[in-house]
Amino acid sequence: MLKKSLIAVTLSTLLAAPAYADLTINGFASIKAGMTLDSDDTLYGYDDDLDFSNESLFAVQVMSDLGEKLSVTAQLMGRGNDDFDVDFEWAFISYQLSDDLRINAGRLRTPFYKYSDFRDVGYAYDWLRVPQGVYGLGFDNIEGISLYHTTQLGNFDSSLQLVAGAYDGDARISGTDVTAEIQNIVGLTWELSRDWYSMRAAYLIGEVSVGAEAVQLEPGVTFGDFFTGLSGAGFGALVNEIDINEEDGAFFGLGFTADKNDWLLVAEYTLVKVDNSFISDQKNFYVSVGHRFDSVTPYISYEKEDNEAKTEIYTPYLATLPPQLLLPVVGIVQSQAREATTYNVGLRYDFHPSAAFKVQYSSEDNEIADLRQDVLAFGVDLVF
Amino acid sequence: MRIVKTALLLTALLSGAAAADIAVVVNPANANAVSADDLNRLFLGRASSFADGSKATPLNLAEGQAGRDEFDNKVLNRSAAQLKAYWSKLVFTGKGTPPKELADDAAVKAAIAADATAIGYISSASVDGSVKVVASF
Repeated sequence: MLKKSLIAVTLSTLLAAPAYADLTINGFASIKAGMTLDSDDTLYGYDDDLDFSNESLFAVQVMSDLGEKLSVTAQLMGRGNDDFDVDFEWAFISYQLSDDLRINAGRLRTPFYKYSDFRDVGYAYDWLRVPQGVYGLGFDNIEGISLYHTTQLGNFDSSLQLVAGAYDGDARISGTDVTAEIQNIVGLTWELSRDWYSMRAAYLIGEVSVGAEAVQLEPGVTFGDFFTGLSGAGFGALVNEIDINEEDGAFFGLGFTADKNDWLLVAEYTLVKVDNSFISDQKNFYVSVGHRFDSVTPYISYEKEDNEAKTEIYTPYLATLPPQLLLPVVGIVQSQAREATTYNVGLRYDFHPSAAFKVQYSSEDNEIADLRQDVLAFGVDLVF
Repeated sequence: MRIVKTALLLTALLSGAAAADIAVVVNPANANAVSADDLNRLFLGRASSFADGSKATPLNLAEGQAGRDEFDNKVLNRSAAQLKAYWSKLVFTGKGTPPKELADDAAVKAAIAADATAIGYISSASVDGSVKVVASF
């Protein structure tokens, strides 16, 4: 409540800014509904009851041009899966250092992926949702600074982004919300585009801490309890290999897009590693192909997730660790194994100058659990 | 659909319908040449200066104006929806703002006559001595 009234006050202050400030108000919204097609399935936050709020959102952005190349921007967003509680998704000041160099400081978006920056702005892309197999990492926002440089290199438009900051929020492990932090994030993204295609590379590093200690290992026993037990039994070094406490994390991403003769191709590959932790190395990619027929754009896409459990954590201990300690260790490490493929089929229909209708069917095959789950969702993305 | 478009284009060409043409205009004091590629960069926010390095301020016609659709299609080679998607990527990520929009040809002419950095487009029929034509489409 306090947060909401604070935001209301801030917003009214922004809106009531002196008349000489040049105010621009924009917004976007998505109203989407979806459901899984089998009674026991849950995917992307849906179950088998038609749900209108899970992927719906509203956002208003206020930008005030303060002149002298300085501007301030706040983007307030309410998400249906969070009861439409309004939060600052972006809040930053921007200073144009020169024609091709801009610095943004404040709350920004972590530029992991091609679509990270505008993943909530559904109108900006054709899919109903960005490919979850690749975009499911979390850590979306960053508090820090971003240096954005655009220039022409031969026939290419080049955008180089340097980002530095920290993430402080939460993550979800085995259904439990836990604290998550990345300190000292430093990253570089580079995008080259020509008339009909673009290429992108991203590399980010940071020190990752996740409060996995709160997660229940079994009823009444948390990861933290178990770690204490392991340390007490003289296996502190093993705890260090498992827990996520200021560990070096690295993200690497490659992307390619093409838009020629109304054919659309998008592909991204990402690699995530967190050293000295039970988080598996995650290699994910997707490929999407679409075709624009005037205002209707059908597409198909394929996603692949390959997260291999770090069995090397416990193999040195197979002979020395008592079974009652070894089994949970194996369980924790193996819990991070994931192999999944997802097919998506959908279409975008630009039925209005500011709004697009979308429908998408997604079928995820979790190969380790041998489980196929399907979601059908539809809705409208708009900008204003 | 494409055949229809081509036929329309052909008819327009054959009838020499100058009235349907778009004239790209700048302030008479502006001596720069402007290519279609330059126009693309300026109106998509990828460049902000003319060939001589001086500042350029692109001006759009308001959405729904016939000249706007024509400029978007002929010069930027994109539909209105594609351009809106393009700009929403920049606007909502703090990377750029679209050109200012003016209500009609008269408003564009007045703005360009008053601002040496301005560049806009109007229907060829609206051209007069207050502005200088640098390209036609």
